[in-house]
Amino acid sequence: MCNLPIKVVCRANAEYMSPSGKVPFIHVGNQVVSELGPIVQFVKAKGHSLSDGLDEVQKAEMKAYMELVNNMLLTAELYLQWCDEATVGEITHARYGSPYPWPLNHILAYQKQWEVKRKMKAIGWGNKTLDQVLEDVDQCCQALSQRLGTQPYFFNKQPTELDALVFGHLFTILTTQLTNDELCEKVKNYSNLLAFCRRIEQRYFEDRGKGSSSIRSS
Amino acid sequence: MAAPLELSCWGGGWGLPSVHSESLVVMAYAKFSGAPLKVNVIDNTWRGSRGDVPILTTEDNIVSQPAKILNFLRKQKYNADYELSAKQGADTLAYIALIEEKLLPAVLHTFWVESDNYFTVTKPWFASQIPFPLSLILPGRMSKGALNRILLTRGEPPLYHLREVEAQIYRDAKECLNLLSNRLGTSQFFFGDTPSTLDAYVFGFLAPLYKVHFPKVQLQEHLKQLSNLCRFCDDILNSYFRLSLGGISPAGQETVDANLQKLTQLVNKESNLIEKMDDNLRQSPQLPPRKLPTLKLTPAEEESNSLQRLSP
Repeated sequence: MCNLPIKVVCRANAEYMSPSGKVPFIHVGNQVVSELGPIVQFVKAKGHSLSDGLDEVQKAEMKAYMELVNNMLLTAELYLQWCDEATVGEITHARYGSPYPWPLNHILAYQKQWEVKRKMKAIGWGNKTLDQVLEDVDQCCQALSQRLGTQPYFFNKQPTELDALVFGHLFTILTTQLTNDELCEKVKNYSNLLAFCRRIEQRYFEDRGKGSSSIRSS
Repeated sequence: MAAPLELSCWGGGWGLPSVHSESLVVMAYAKFSGAPLKVNVIDNTWRGSRGDVPILTTEDNIVSQPAKILNFLRKQKYNADYELSAKQGADTLAYIALIEEKLLPAVLHTFWVESDNYFTVTKPWFASQIPFPLSLILPGRMSKGALNRILLTRGEPPLYHLREVEAQIYRDAKECLNLLSNRLGTSQFFFGDTPSTLDAYVFGFLAPLYKVHFPKVQLQEHLKQLSNLCRFCDDILNSYFRLSLGGISPAGQETVDANLQKLTQLVNKESNLIEKMDDNLRQSPQLPPRKLPTLKLTPAEEESNSLQRLSP
């Protein structure tokens, strides 16, 4: 969205290369910056920012909505990937361990699962059932949908960091094939969110020919 | 609803009906929506350590977390968000998420992890509320739970170390407080003139931070500089929690109470201003001395005030 030239590289040890242990991270010259927050600040320091046109109250709102997305959608995605037995068994274990030889693939997958379960327990999601998680996701999508309304982007004409974040999560949810399609269905209930994702995908990704998994196919 | 609603939660102190953030959120919401709640102060349950307090019991239901309790109250027609638009409802969710992500870790840290605060204030207080021998075990457990939560959600693997996280969480909390203050501006409540869920949440998290006296107070100091948030807390305390000390407001007198509350709010605002400036002087001696209406001070207090002003 900032029109910066990037090259996307997939590496198995990405989590370990990152300075904070989290993906994604960018490698610019001799600097490495990880996670959305610091990356945004880094890019801002270099002179590109999407949220310059917002006033204080709007910036506060944007931050609040970003936290909402992180809190609800991210946690729900983690839950679905790692705490729902069906998904874990069929998809996550295989996918997470695929770059490694046996027995490392099993060990690393179990270790990650244990870590995620610990985190869920600490924030109180440990006892939630799948239905409750889906309900939370629904509430979150409803809030996003109401905030978006009929506007093209969340803060009217220009895309901001919030649009990028929401697009990232929703696109992943919509295009990832899981054993359980309910999460996908929940998001599809909100037509303006669907239109929003399509619009961003068409505008920013298809120009560069990166339409490897398009929303239209699901 | 005719069924009696009982809320079990931690007790109060320092002028607050409860010292526990989540209990305070539920109590504030009940006051705003007019739900008749009977408050039971719990003392001897293991549930407190598992984070299950506050608990709402009715004839056939037991509901445990604040979000679920609020949902339950709404279904029983005690809805404080009736007048909010859809967008404001969405904003509420977003701001609550912001508070939970940014402010809660620092509040937990101030109460439970910071050793000065924990050993001199939090632990003795909770231990005094819990009978022996649980008083030896529960506070420790709650402290570990809080530390766990902070490290797991904010600590960056593989460095699960507290020091690196501390600076970050306090920075985030201060930013969050600034954002809330910007959003509140000069209005009475977050969405106009009537309080809603968001006000309950903000009050629940800010009031203990604001009122409880701690030895290590960096976050509290920051909060005190945001005068509109302090005014917000004081307003709610005065209007909703001083009128009925027992904690019950009968459902039939809702409108009368509302008018009375508005009237007392106006009167209380005046006395609040004086009280608050008085408090500020007494609790934060390092602030530069301000012009005060000295009529309220007795000679003894005046002397102790000037003594404090002189001390570093």
